Amino acid sequence: MNIFVAAFGFGLVSMSVIAIAAVGFTMQFGITNMINLAYGEVMISAAYVAYYMNKAGISIWIGMVAGALFGAVFSFLLNRFIYAPFMRKGTANLGMVIVSLAVSLMISNLLLPIVGYYSVSYQEDAGKLIRLGSIVLTRDQIIVIGIAVVLMLGIHALLTYTRLGKAMRATAANPTLARNCGIPTQRVIDSVWLITGALCGLAGVVAALNADSFAIANGSAFLITILAAAVLGGAGQPYGAMIGAVLIGLITEWSAAAWSPEYKEVVAFGILVLVMVLRPQGLLAKRGALAAAG
Amino acid sequence: MNTYYAANLLIYAGIDIIACLALNLQFGVSGIVNFSFIVFQAVGAYAAAVLSLPPDTANGGFQHYVGGLQLPFPIPWIGGAIAGGLLAIPVGFVVLRKLRSDYQAIALLVLSVIANTVITNADKFLGGAAGLALVPPPFSDRIDPNTEGYQYLYIGITAVAVVIAFAVVNRVVNSPYGRSLRAMREREIAAAAIGKDPVNLKMTIFIAGGVIAGLSGAILVGFIQLWAPSVWLYPETIILFAAIIVGGRGNNIGAILGALLVPVGFEEVTRLLNNNPNIANLGPPNLISALQWVAIGLLILGFLWFRPQGVRPEARRVFEGGPD
Amino acid sequence: MSSPPAVATRPMLVATDIHRHFEGMRAVDGVSLDVAPGKITGLIGPNGAGKSTFLAVLAGTLPATSGTIVFEGEDITHVPAYQRARRRLVRTFQLPSEFAQLTVLENLLVAAPSNKGDSLFGALMGKRYWDVDEHRLIDEARGLLKRFGMSAKESDYAGTMSGGQKRLIEIMRALMLHPRLLLLDEPMSGVHPKIVEEIQHYLQDLRAGGLTILMVEHELHMVERLCDTVVVMAQGKVIGSGTMASLRRQQEIVDAYLVG
Repeated sequence: MNIFVAAFGFGLVSMSVIAIAAVGFTMQFGITNMINLAYGEVMISAAYVAYYMNKAGISIWIGMVAGALFGAVFSFLLNRFIYAPFMRKGTANLGMVIVSLAVSLMISNLLLPIVGYYSVSYQEDAGKLIRLGSIVLTRDQIIVIGIAVVLMLGIHALLTYTRLGKAMRATAANPTLARNCGIPTQRVIDSVWLITGALCGLAGVVAALNADSFAIANGSAFLITILAAAVLGGAGQPYGAMIGAVLIGLITEWSAAAWSPEYKEVVAFGILVLVMVLRPQGLLAKRGALAAAG
Repeated sequence: MNTYYAANLLIYAGIDIIACLALNLQFGVSGIVNFSFIVFQAVGAYAAAVLSLPPDTANGGFQHYVGGLQLPFPIPWIGGAIAGGLLAIPVGFVVLRKLRSDYQAIALLVLSVIANTVITNADKFLGGAAGLALVPPPFSDRIDPNTEGYQYLYIGITAVAVVIAFAVVNRVVNSPYGRSLRAMREREIAAAAIGKDPVNLKMTIFIAGGVIAGLSGAILVGFIQLWAPSVWLYPETIILFAAIIVGGRGNNIGAILGALLVPVGFEEVTRLLNNNPNIANLGPPNLISALQWVAIGLLILGFLWFRPQGVRPEARRVFEGGPD
Repeated sequence: MSSPPAVATRPMLVATDIHRHFEGMRAVDGVSLDVAPGKITGLIGPNGAGKSTFLAVLAGTLPATSGTIVFEGEDITHVPAYQRARRRLVRTFQLPSEFAQLTVLENLLVAAPSNKGDSLFGALMGKRYWDVDEHRLIDEARGLLKRFGMSAKESDYAGTMSGGQKRLIEIMRALMLHPRLLLLDEPMSGVHPKIVEEIQHYLQDLRAGGLTILMVEHELHMVERLCDTVVVMAQGKVIGSGTMASLRRQQEIVDAYLVG
């Protein structure tokens, strides 16, 4: 029984990492209709930025900020120079998926010769162990959970109280109507890519910190977990992504405790399949992944 | 020209042509973005392998797998084709019915990644990460596979497979059924409004494409005599997509052209570059293979931007007896 | 302009208390409607009245939230769209829905329901198996093209046609299904006035040939000239039905919608 309580603790960390990533991913989809398959690669790239800074002796927390900035700029440029032009050209959703897959391949393969194939890890003293009952977490893990909570609250505040947030929600609901109401959709979209890009970059560093080691190849594994959380919660729904992250984080950690840690992504995939069969629109969304005739 | 080199080139060309014809049927003609295509080729290879391998206690028992029925040609090839079709049934059932088409693509992509992970970790099932080795090629009990004569034999049976695959795909694409598929690709809701059942069409083509993909896997494993998860990672599907996009979507000639330009073309260029020691040792190891992928990505983006219809576009159908 | 005396008295289609709610909006809020055979029924109303949504529910493109649809005596409420088309309840679309990368002739051919080559088995059997059907259908399609004046365009890609031509293609495509009931969604929208005249004549010819039509339309003069009966919708409900003349006399309808 204690393994499961301990796994619950790991689940808290897992869900924190997944939440930061999944919220960014799902907002990209919700507001720009773009399933950004290069998301995982941007995460890993940011992780490496922090890694090189870490190697140079800079604190990982500063590396995290750098990763977030890097993610923001990288994602913004990706949209500005590749995604948006293809969308303007009238490329259908399906075509954009192919585009983002091609981009993800290019990113990982441009990085590989530079960073190498082997796994690396951060030099970071995770801090002393903190016990809460049967749950044992390191100081760093608790900080990660804290960061996630702060970010989730921040996103909530952004969407509910700020003009930009309301503009984002309007654009997500009906872009044409939003434009006709005078919302500067171009600026909103640019902001979305910057903000979600920052989340993406931050999530990459956090995920790398949480793992024993990481390499370029981890990008696709991250992506699957993020996809599962986003689809489970309802594609395009930030609060859904948070719920999805909680569930995926817990379930994968429990399954890792019950069976084997290697199958975490497989469990996430299994959940994805279940959702698609039983409730494709996810927990929160009304339309989401369903075909147009839904 | 060296017979072995020629055999390698021609047989790989044949396999890639068959694979591209199948993917074109699914993607080019019917609009199904099957990002898990490589899994269907893989299941065909695994099926053919376990049908032709002796029981896993043989060869010193160093590998573990199911099957091992040691059946003669052509059963492994037929088995591979059937395996591809069978796999398409549950996958299609889950993915192709209610989901929006870009979600279908994502689900299939994820399947591709996960299938590889599962097979890698399931040691006793299909050889795990090490895969299956010493797969007996067709007729190897009667002819030594290492002789030149055998190369010609293999080229011959591959060619027969290519002809059959082409005949099948050609009949489907250039028929009223093919027209219905293209209509569904163009505008699914309008196709339903004129009486086409999109789910039925997609499932049928998914299975048909799976069968042909499985066959291509069987041919490949018979030739290279081994098969492992590292051979069928998810990006392999992307190469075939690049082939279809470059060669020309929706038509079989374009698919063949794409197969020759992309998978075969890249292989040859890479081989030439690697043979030149000055280039091969430039930069970090595996630079050339990494750049290969970058080039594939650029090809896809470039063609989608500048020439989405491909080198050889889909032909316009003109019927005789019309006005001049 | 009177049509021959109606022989069948049973309505071709009976829609009862159709609701279509989606994301909190009640696009169709309890619509009941009978469509008489051999007549052209018009469906008019202000923007957002739910007319197109109602048509989509009848065609099966959208599922009804509640209510029943009986077509030629059979309950088709839960029958999917493609099967309704096969039962010859056929719709066209408000926005152009041609198959762009198929030629004009192919757009018509693909709609034909009885082609032996239109199955995997038939395709694999080869050209000789389905060639006879194909030639028969080509003749039929060419006949339609000639009747609608588009013979010269048969080998052009449908996507390159003008708005009015695309409308005609959709109507001809629907006719290839030998419909019993044709649901037209704003067939004149965005069409050149000259072509509008032609479409009007075609629809009158079709009605004379016994076709039943339910037509959503904005152009009231057109509705007046073409439709035997008119149903008025507003805010998801039916607010009146009858001839245009009788409707003009009902004040609330005039207030809600009719201008001039």
